[in-house]
Amino acid sequence: MNTARAATTILVKEVRAEFRARELLNTTFVFALVVVVMFSFAFDPTAAESRRFGPGLLWIALLFAGSLMLQPSFAREHANDTLDALCLAPVSPFAILLGKILANVIFLGACEVLLLPIFAVFYNVALMPVIGRLVFVLALGTFGLAVTGTVFSAVAAQARMRELLLPLLLLPVLVPLLLAAVEATAGLLSDTPELQSTWIELLVGFDVMFFTVSWLLSDFLLQE
Amino acid sequence: MKNFESLFVAWMIVWAVFFGYQVTIARRLSQVQDEIERLKSQLGRK
Amino acid sequence: MIKRLIPAVAVGALMIFGGYAALFIAPDESTMHAIQRIFYFHAPSGMVALMAFTICFIANIGYLVGRKPHWDCLAVAAAEVGVAFNTVVLITGPIWAKPAWGIWWAWDARLTSTLVLWLLYISFLLLRDLIADPDRRSVFSAIYGIFLFLDVPLVYFSIRIWRTQHPQPVILGGQGSGLDPTMRKVFYLCWFALTAVMAILIRQRYQLERARNEVEELRIEAERQISAAGQA
Repeated sequence: MNTARAATTILVKEVRAEFRARELLNTTFVFALVVVVMFSFAFDPTAAESRRFGPGLLWIALLFAGSLMLQPSFAREHANDTLDALCLAPVSPFAILLGKILANVIFLGACEVLLLPIFAVFYNVALMPVIGRLVFVLALGTFGLAVTGTVFSAVAAQARMRELLLPLLLLPVLVPLLLAAVEATAGLLSDTPELQSTWIELLVGFDVMFFTVSWLLSDFLLQE
Repeated sequence: MKNFESLFVAWMIVWAVFFGYQVTIARRLSQVQDEIERLKSQLGRK
Repeated sequence: MIKRLIPAVAVGALMIFGGYAALFIAPDESTMHAIQRIFYFHAPSGMVALMAFTICFIANIGYLVGRKPHWDCLAVAAAEVGVAFNTVVLITGPIWAKPAWGIWWAWDARLTSTLVLWLLYISFLLLRDLIADPDRRSVFSAIYGIFLFLDVPLVYFSIRIWRTQHPQPVILGGQGSGLDPTMRKVFYLCWFALTAVMAILIRQRYQLERARNEVEELRIEAERQISAAGQA
């Protein structure tokens, strides 16, 4: 079975499983929302402060919610020993990994679609003028988050305390992605919207590098 | 020298970290080596 | 007994050697006077930490390729020693900053990057602590370690760009501040001394890890013998 077809099969399986229960999406979205609301209580930002901190808050909420959501990716398999069954199938380990990564991209994307309008309302930002470029930045950031999170979920699944471990493994590594995404978003939402190429290059570089290394190490990652 | 106290404190801390780390490793190493000897003789006996 | 003391004595001697140079040979700096001398340990420690993490990276790759346990032992030794050097950077930075700037911490590029680096490799060590099975621990920490090291340039780069866009006070001279010739000599001397300390510490820690593995194997064999004798 070639990689693309295998990955698609895994992707469809993951998405279908999630939509049957829908617990992951609901919980992740509400958690992100809670982070956004908590911020307002903790900092009571003025209108100007809201606009200044908005992009940072959006990405923090996404990263926190994401690092909790990505955890079941492999932990679920670990609990039911289905990973061994998957690996016995005549598909490359990378196909399995890719299917999961793409599924996580879709889940995160679905959360973002729901979160963005609410964010725009709470923080009084006009998203429509820059929506195209904003979606581009979100896509790059989400892909990086999904790749790193899925791979580290496989690593954390081997350990105890994996719910606490995954954010710990993930968040420091994502510092470059966080910086780039927040600055790029802030640039778009500022008074003179512009897409800063340095940050976009950094995002692309991050995504390409982590994706490539994941591909190279996928055999080792899924061996047990 | 101005600010000498801060320099002294920093110097002491740097010393403590490296020398202390070395001493901790050395101590653990001798403990483990003693354990190895003990187990080896136990296995040799049996 | 004497043999066991040699590494500790060597570390002590190197530290005294470096310290003497930093305290007495280096010329006095005009604005900061004594406290500036922290620089001779602060900056080289950062460089040595990176050297240690590079060794860890090589060991991680070595383990995935060869699966020999000694690579794994080297990886954890190098990571731990790297964290120790990084801790020194993070402690000496604020100790310098307080007299110099009146603040303990500024999110300046180098110190912030060092902090992230510290967090990254602490996570590495914590991951190892939390995986019980030794083989899985070696494989998965090696995988994680590879990702960590490749992330490091991205961390430095992104934080530097971030700080050029939103400038903050710079701790201890920043990039390429001019050093007069004697200062430069003392700098290299301290760097050399600290590199030697790193090598000694890594070797010791490596030996400790190998010894621990040996104890584990011996224990398993002892238990097997006991149960075999019990069944006989």
